Amino acid sequence: MRVRTRVTAAVAGLGALVALSGCGKADMSKQASPYANAAGAKTVTLSVQSWVGAQADVAVAEYLLKEELGYRVDKVQIDEIPAWDALSQGRVDAIMEDWGHPDQEQRYIKDKKTIVPGGGIGVTGHIGWYVPTYFAKKHPDVTDWKNLNKYAKDFRTPESGGKGQLMDGSPSYVTNDKALVENLDLDYKVVFAGSEAAQITQIEQFAKQQKPFLTYWYKPQWLFKKVPMTEVKLPAYKEGCDADPAKIKCAYPHTPLQKFLNADFAKNGGKAAEFLKRFKWSEADQNEVSLMIADQKMSPEDAAKKWIDANEAKWRGWVPK
Amino acid sequence: MSDTATVTPAADAATDAVFAVRNLWKVFGPKAETVPGNAELTGLDPVELRERTGCTAAVRDVSFEVKKGEVFVVMGLSGSGKSTLVRCLTRLIEPTSGSVEIDGEDVLAMDKNRLRELRRHRASMVFQHFGLLPHRTVLDNVAYGLEIQGVARAERREKAMKVIEKVGLEGLEQRRPGQLSGGQQQRVGLARALAADPEVLLFDEPFSALDPLIRRDMQEEVVRLHREEGRTMVFITHDLSEALKLGDRIALMRDGRVVQLGTPEEIVGSPADEYVRDFVRDVPREQVMTCRSAMRPVDSDADEDTKGPAIAPDATVSEAIEAVARSGFPARVMDGARCLGVVDHEQLLGVVAGVTPKGAAGRGGPAAKAGPSIRKEVTGEVAS
Amino acid sequence: MATATASTPVRDTGIGALLRRRAVVKLLLLAVVAAVAVPILNAKWASGAWPEALTVDVSEPLTKASDWIIDNRDSHWLFTYFFGHISNAIVLSVRGVYLVLLAAGWAGVTVAAGAIAWRVAGLKLAALATAAFAACGLLGMWVPTMQTLALMVVAVLASVVLGMLLGLAAGLNDRIFRMMRPVLDTMQVLPAFAYLLPVVLVFGIGVPAAVLATVVYSAPPMARLTALGLRGADGGVMEAVASLGATARQRLLSARLPLARKELLLGLNQTIMMALSMAVIASVIGAGGLGDRVYQALSTVDVGQALAAGIPIVLLAVVLDRVTGAAGERLGAHAEDNSPLRGWRGWSIAAAVTLACALAARFADRLEWPTSWVVQIAEPVNTAKDWMVDHLYTGVPVVGGTADWAAHFTTYVLDPIRDGLQGLPWWSVLLIVAALAWVIGTWQTALTAVLAMAAIGVLDVWNASLDTLSQVLAGVAVTVVLGFAIGIAASRSKRLEALLRPVLDVFQTMPQFVYLIPVVALFGVGRAPAVAAAVVYALPAVIRITTQGLRQVSPAAMESAQSLGATSWQQLRQVQLPLARPALMLALNQGVVLVLAVVVIGGLVGGGGLGYDVLAGLARGDLATGLVGGIAIVCLGLMLDRVTQPTERRAKKGA
Repeated sequence: MRVRTRVTAAVAGLGALVALSGCGKADMSKQASPYANAAGAKTVTLSVQSWVGAQADVAVAEYLLKEELGYRVDKVQIDEIPAWDALSQGRVDAIMEDWGHPDQEQRYIKDKKTIVPGGGIGVTGHIGWYVPTYFAKKHPDVTDWKNLNKYAKDFRTPESGGKGQLMDGSPSYVTNDKALVENLDLDYKVVFAGSEAAQITQIEQFAKQQKPFLTYWYKPQWLFKKVPMTEVKLPAYKEGCDADPAKIKCAYPHTPLQKFLNADFAKNGGKAAEFLKRFKWSEADQNEVSLMIADQKMSPEDAAKKWIDANEAKWRGWVPK
Repeated sequence: MSDTATVTPAADAATDAVFAVRNLWKVFGPKAETVPGNAELTGLDPVELRERTGCTAAVRDVSFEVKKGEVFVVMGLSGSGKSTLVRCLTRLIEPTSGSVEIDGEDVLAMDKNRLRELRRHRASMVFQHFGLLPHRTVLDNVAYGLEIQGVARAERREKAMKVIEKVGLEGLEQRRPGQLSGGQQQRVGLARALAADPEVLLFDEPFSALDPLIRRDMQEEVVRLHREEGRTMVFITHDLSEALKLGDRIALMRDGRVVQLGTPEEIVGSPADEYVRDFVRDVPREQVMTCRSAMRPVDSDADEDTKGPAIAPDATVSEAIEAVARSGFPARVMDGARCLGVVDHEQLLGVVAGVTPKGAAGRGGPAAKAGPSIRKEVTGEVAS
Repeated sequence: MATATASTPVRDTGIGALLRRRAVVKLLLLAVVAAVAVPILNAKWASGAWPEALTVDVSEPLTKASDWIIDNRDSHWLFTYFFGHISNAIVLSVRGVYLVLLAAGWAGVTVAAGAIAWRVAGLKLAALATAAFAACGLLGMWVPTMQTLALMVVAVLASVVLGMLLGLAAGLNDRIFRMMRPVLDTMQVLPAFAYLLPVVLVFGIGVPAAVLATVVYSAPPMARLTALGLRGADGGVMEAVASLGATARQRLLSARLPLARKELLLGLNQTIMMALSMAVIASVIGAGGLGDRVYQALSTVDVGQALAAGIPIVLLAVVLDRVTGAAGERLGAHAEDNSPLRGWRGWSIAAAVTLACALAARFADRLEWPTSWVVQIAEPVNTAKDWMVDHLYTGVPVVGGTADWAAHFTTYVLDPIRDGLQGLPWWSVLLIVAALAWVIGTWQTALTAVLAMAAIGVLDVWNASLDTLSQVLAGVAVTVVLGFAIGIAASRSKRLEALLRPVLDVFQTMPQFVYLIPVVALFGVGRAPAVAAAVVYALPAVIRITTQGLRQVSPAAMESAQSLGATSWQQLRQVQLPLARPALMLALNQGVVLVLAVVVIGGLVGGGGLGYDVLAGLARGDLATGLVGGIAIVCLGLMLDRVTQPTERRAKKGA
């Protein structure tokens, strides 16, 4: 008899569970963050990438969404590629600055149709290899990749061992450096600092000691204002030369940075979606905000406010009436 | 209840036997169940048995009955199987073979519910290490047995309070076991067993973990309880003086067998074998033996039936010694007005010295040297 | 002289000699095996790093699996009818708790924390709890704290339920216990990082994955301690309960479980601490909350922000640990509670006060922590850090700068060890592992260790693993030297121990993640700071075990040594250390396990190795790389644990 009560209890419990969870399909790809909309306001969730430029984009967008449109903004830090997945699932409503991920675009925009492009952010990005200008001035020929091997010994560090160090930032960033070093036959070792910030710290330290270094870096970036750097010329980029990641032998392209929106959000997101689609500024504007955040250590919110207060003409048009 | 008892030759005794144990075996080890039925194995001594089969026989072929209202003591050294035996009575340990009856009902045939009823209402146990629940107060510990019976809270608390008073723990009912002394804890254990108002109380070496003085108090407590309520008790102990003090009858165990079963006097006065004799060697025999067993027939020629102090047959020898010493004459053992016999210096000294003077009424000498078959006869005779 | 003669026979007949003799036999056997096997292996595959021919490429099937999951997540029944519901339930419950916390407002939550601590653990801890929550608000971390708390509440509840169920099964059934015990033991030594990827594979990045990883990580101690507690129930009590005619359920509910309540509370304590630790690390897979703030701050090397988020984590950890710990101690103590507030009265007062505060805050429209009350510590901290960078990093006269130390440590310690390991022929690494594990443990532990190491090779992460291993070895060496030294000193000086105790208490409760903050400030990024964080993390446990081990050396042995006129150095060397050997071994084992746990997280601050693989896998959405890294971490953890595992092991994890 006890067995029967137990079985009954188990069935009842299972039934309750099923009933609670909605009696059927549960699409986990359409679940928002549990923290979203907590205060009952309309909420937009933005993905914050780890580099400062993207933080500047988000800070300004956040401020305007809050102050001008009355939204609540949640920010989620996710790396670039997982952010696509999150965007597709609706855990994130928008990515403000994407540096080009063809695979993901194919999968989510063309195949699954869960993400739509949101237009350009107005900034063109370019990745390259850089040496500090103080070093380039002393050794002008270092700016050609063909001469890099000559200077390998100058770029040696404990982490790179006997080879020269090519410093990369976060593993998640778009990078072909390992292949490039191999294919261009360079006597270098790619060392990942782990994150952009770590990389910046190291660059600043090198700069302080006026030491030579070779680093993966990109434009637009505020750090150029603090540590002037000169790009090393790699073999010129041609359309399609980066098709096979293993055989790349050319420089990085110049990429107009893109915004992407979750498809549902783009359709039903109202003014917020409209605003994010219209958001477009310039490299100089972005750098201004970035510098305030990263160098003057202002909070992103304060930095955004400062820029917004000074540049109403620029953003007024983004805000839908 | 006796009418449901199976009819056996001893059926007339079933009415006053609470527990009837017959040919009980408990064997631990692989294929334990094959041992009792195998004549070849049953004859082995423990060491050989373990070598042959890897089994340990904790209880071997034990039979006895516990009569209503008596204190039945099972005594033996550690490892003699006595604790296993008492656990077999309520199947806390499942016997390997044999039979156990309570009020004529076969315990081994009981289903789970019936067995639970037995444990809840008919036989409660008091343990050497108390077995109290440390997270409950004294009151809740005592009421625990009632709680698992499903007795309502108010009622069980009331009952528990009564028992607590009975065992002398008033005022401590809100304490937890950890805050009590050993003796107090055992009183809680006793109270818990009493709370269910069982037919039989089973004691498993209840006082051996206590200090000597407290142990004596507790023994007296048990004596008092028994006197007041007349409840049947089965008492396990390794302490001979405790056994002699409490027991109406004593079963003495060794290596799983009952080597002798009898009244304290029989055990002390007529040890069944060398082992028992050794065991009881240091007992102050004059305090156990009664005049009835020490006396010799009256020698009417010497006027013994008229002279000398009168003494009851159940008086201990030491009492007789005092009387004899005071009067200078042999004491008359008087059952009412009838003179059963006399005890004089010779008998009394014989008892103290542990030798059997000629003409004494006690059984002794030859049985002690007898083999197992005779020993069985002895136990059987006493049991029936 | 007297001590020498007295101690020599002891040593020769003691365990040491026996072990040494047995060890020699084992080593000889192993040498024979090696003599036969090595030439064959060498002839077939080259020596040096793990041979290519013996690797299995798992990344392709894993990538396919990962792609399949992403493509089918919204359509396949497995997801829509099973994982989807789990994910849903988690999101709903976290959200529910979070909304309740927000609705209670900062006043309600702070007062509730104080009230609960008051009822459970007394006034002192109530003050601590209230202050801690207030501090979270003051630091401007109220909302992240509530997010972390909401996640924790759900994860801890789930862990406790799951752990208790598993523990019940294992506690009541020998077979299940025997099967589960090694699994649980092993799970306890694995770094938290290894748990992240499998859940991400199925659930994607986000709160559900974070909660599940937390549950998987923190349920084992509950299960383990529940099982141990249930099995350890006093046989006498259980027999007494049975003798009273209790049913199986009554025996369990009224006796066995209450008897195990100390273990259950200890389990709860450990589960909470591990859940917090994991909830913070899980920010890497989208847990949000405080961990996310630390993670974000670390990725911008913003030490001030990291600290502002790190302090609430530490406070939360200390409060949770102390309150649950105090609850356990209260159970053990038999003090009679005669205060008029005991039982339901105290609780209802606590509830009433909480409710009143929550309502007051609500009507005053003060649910959110007032912005004006926020103290910005980020800026001063960053200023201080900048000053440190300017003045302490490099070129400090005589001692050099912290960055210089880090560079030297990397060049002169980490690099040689790494290059040495990577230069060793692969079979010799296996042999060394086998020899160490066998000498210290049994042939089973040796076999597990060798298999784990071989698995690393098969998975083709040999070099990355050896990189991580080199950091672990360096970290362990530093930890053990420092730990033993401080431990010995503390065991000989009551004063030092009294000074150390509160420090160790706090350090041992801190989640691993937090240790990364100060080391980044001090040493910048790279392998050296990762190792430094690991050392700081593992040190308290090692010191504690060493001190306890030395203290527990039988006073009789010490007394007899003293009476023979041994100097205190002789006492230490000849009596205490040999007798405390099991404790020292245990300290080593714990040190290894804890160092590994942090070294892999060190991937976040440029530690490289396997931790980097996992992070890179997460960051690039390349789960195959990440999973392989995770599996390798598991293997490495297994190997290191088995190699240092003496016969008996410890019930409680160091942190």
